[in-house]
Amino acid sequence: MMGFYFSRLVEIYPFFLKGLWMTSKIAFISLVTCTLIGFVLGVIRSSNNIILKRIVGVYVAFVRGTPFVVQIFIIFFILPDWGLQLDAFPAALLAMAIMGSAFICEIVAGGINSIHKGQWEAATSSGLTMIQQLRLVIVPQAMKVILPPLVGQYVLLIKDTSVVSVIGVMELTRVGWVTVVRIPEGLMVFSLVGALYFSISYPLILLSNYLERKMAI
Amino acid sequence: MLVDFNFRIIFEYLPLFLTGLRSTCFIAVVSIALALATGIIACACRISGVKAIKYPAIAYIEIIRSTPLLVQIYFLYFGLPTLGLRVPELQTGILALMLNSGAYIAEIIRAGITSVDDGQLEAGTASGLNYFQRMRFIILPQALGVTIPPLLGQNIVLVKDSALLSLISVMELTRCGQTMTSERFMPAEAFFTVAFFYMCIYFCLKALADWSQRKLIFREAY
Amino acid sequence: MIEFKNVNKWFGKLHVLNNIDLKISKGEVLVICGPSGSGKSTLIRCINRLEKIQKGEIIVNNTPVHDKHTNLTKLRAQIGFVFQQFHLYPHMTVLQNVMLAPVNVKKLAKSEAEKIALEKLEQVGLTEKSSAYPAQLSGGQQQRVAIARGLTMSPEIMLFDEPTSALDPEMIGEVLDVMVNLVSEGMTMCVVTHEMGFAKKVAHRVLFMDEGKIVETGTPDDFFDNPKTDRAAEFISKILTH
Repeated sequence: MMGFYFSRLVEIYPFFLKGLWMTSKIAFISLVTCTLIGFVLGVIRSSNNIILKRIVGVYVAFVRGTPFVVQIFIIFFILPDWGLQLDAFPAALLAMAIMGSAFICEIVAGGINSIHKGQWEAATSSGLTMIQQLRLVIVPQAMKVILPPLVGQYVLLIKDTSVVSVIGVMELTRVGWVTVVRIPEGLMVFSLVGALYFSISYPLILLSNYLERKMAI
Repeated sequence: MLVDFNFRIIFEYLPLFLTGLRSTCFIAVVSIALALATGIIACACRISGVKAIKYPAIAYIEIIRSTPLLVQIYFLYFGLPTLGLRVPELQTGILALMLNSGAYIAEIIRAGITSVDDGQLEAGTASGLNYFQRMRFIILPQALGVTIPPLLGQNIVLVKDSALLSLISVMELTRCGQTMTSERFMPAEAFFTVAFFYMCIYFCLKALADWSQRKLIFREAY
Repeated sequence: MIEFKNVNKWFGKLHVLNNIDLKISKGEVLVICGPSGSGKSTLIRCINRLEKIQKGEIIVNNTPVHDKHTNLTKLRAQIGFVFQQFHLYPHMTVLQNVMLAPVNVKKLAKSEAEKIALEKLEQVGLTEKSSAYPAQLSGGQQQRVAIARGLTMSPEIMLFDEPTSALDPEMIGEVLDVMVNLVSEGMTMCVVTHEMGFAKKVAHRVLFMDEGKIVETGTPDDFFDNPKTDRAAEFISKILTH
């Protein structure tokens, strides 16, 4: 029986590759968007503008305080109520962007705050503009603190893409879920799904470990 | 938009949400206790010199950390029956959370232990303390200080992760939101209420984590 | 009391201890100096087996240190060690730091260990700081506590690994004073240090190391005033102009 199911599994293997492709697509687009938005928000969060800081703070607390699956439900079920009709795929990207940016924002803000005040003062006295100070003096130093947890966060985000399966996006986990209905070999099906996730995230975990060691020096 | 937010229906469903909240708390407490035990054992194996237990521990930790929790949940949910094991949803869910958090906790504890300066160990060695005494009096008390805040952070993650158990129909907080949505189709009321309760848990745990951060980190000796 | 017989040690390819032969007798105060990386710290760390050796033998009080069957706990109880970076336990008070070994290694009763610990703290002049935490002390005070911790097992030998190098200049004196007092009590001491004043005042012998070898030994006056080798002369002129 196992053998029979295994050959069925081999038959529908392309289906899994399609799922992997979808997962990679969602992951890649959200990592890029989250990094961009996260850096901007992180700079705001570590700035001196109290009002903007508070607003970003509330947003971050909401995202960090609620499960991602609840956030997806809110976006997917409630936005249509408010007149914004979204397909599953864009809704998934939106949810990923909102969630990921908040976590990256915290990492970036932490990195910027770790830089000694004297560096700002030195850069200010050299007559650099605010943007120049950030770009030339602060962020290059903060990167050392930011990079290891950032890559770690990327791994978490890639894994979180599995949750968007709940609104029917045909990514890897959804493929597994659909398959297991037809081929009732749960261990086999989800081992395969797991192995495919492993092949994306494990290299990143190793990179994160490497960066952590390297930056510690 | 929020103008027609129906508070009456929330009150009507409040008893359901409160059972959901209780269930989420119960799952979290049980899972974190089991995960802590798993994590301590996995970490002890991970840092031991015995290859026969070290490598399985590494494999366990790395596999868990590089696959999504949802896949792990489905793996157990759909996989255990194929092994002939009939485990109820709740137990399956707790098992998944335990295995998942256990791996992260093992790494947190390991980081705490390696964060203690080598000189501390040498000083203990030079005074003639044996391995267990060095662990007990020098390494663990200091490791505890750096370990407790991230452990509480993992606790927060676990509470949020438990929401995924709703997908294998465990009746917890998120599942209550789904139930109410399917019965009344008022997703806004349902999921904002669910989110509100999660926020409450989050702020309590976060306050605890921040407090422990201030309280437990030892000042550097030099 | 301490004897090195043809001791060799490598860190990978680096030959850190090269054919070391050395005898230190009871009550002797030996100062070891040399440029950084010369193997002087490694030399004293081998005496209580914080480092392993690959060849040769070290004998302390008739006990072969690097023998498998040696009871290390008993051996280390006879040897006090003071680190450059103090390495006090930050989560314990001064008194707890000093009491840890007597209670757990010698299995003394708490009250008895406390009595001994307070004695040792008095010896380094820090009785009033016994309930403070290391972070509340100055560097000099921390190092004096570390010395008290080293003395608390009533050792016959004290090893010091650059005990003043991590200190601000104004704190070096208080630590050296404590060490000079120890000398006057007849303690056997090996001190890795560049403090010439200390060496001239109390050392019986100075040993100069370079590249893992003992290059020169002599009385302090001989060594500092008439070094026999060029390398030693160059080294002395450097620490003088420093």
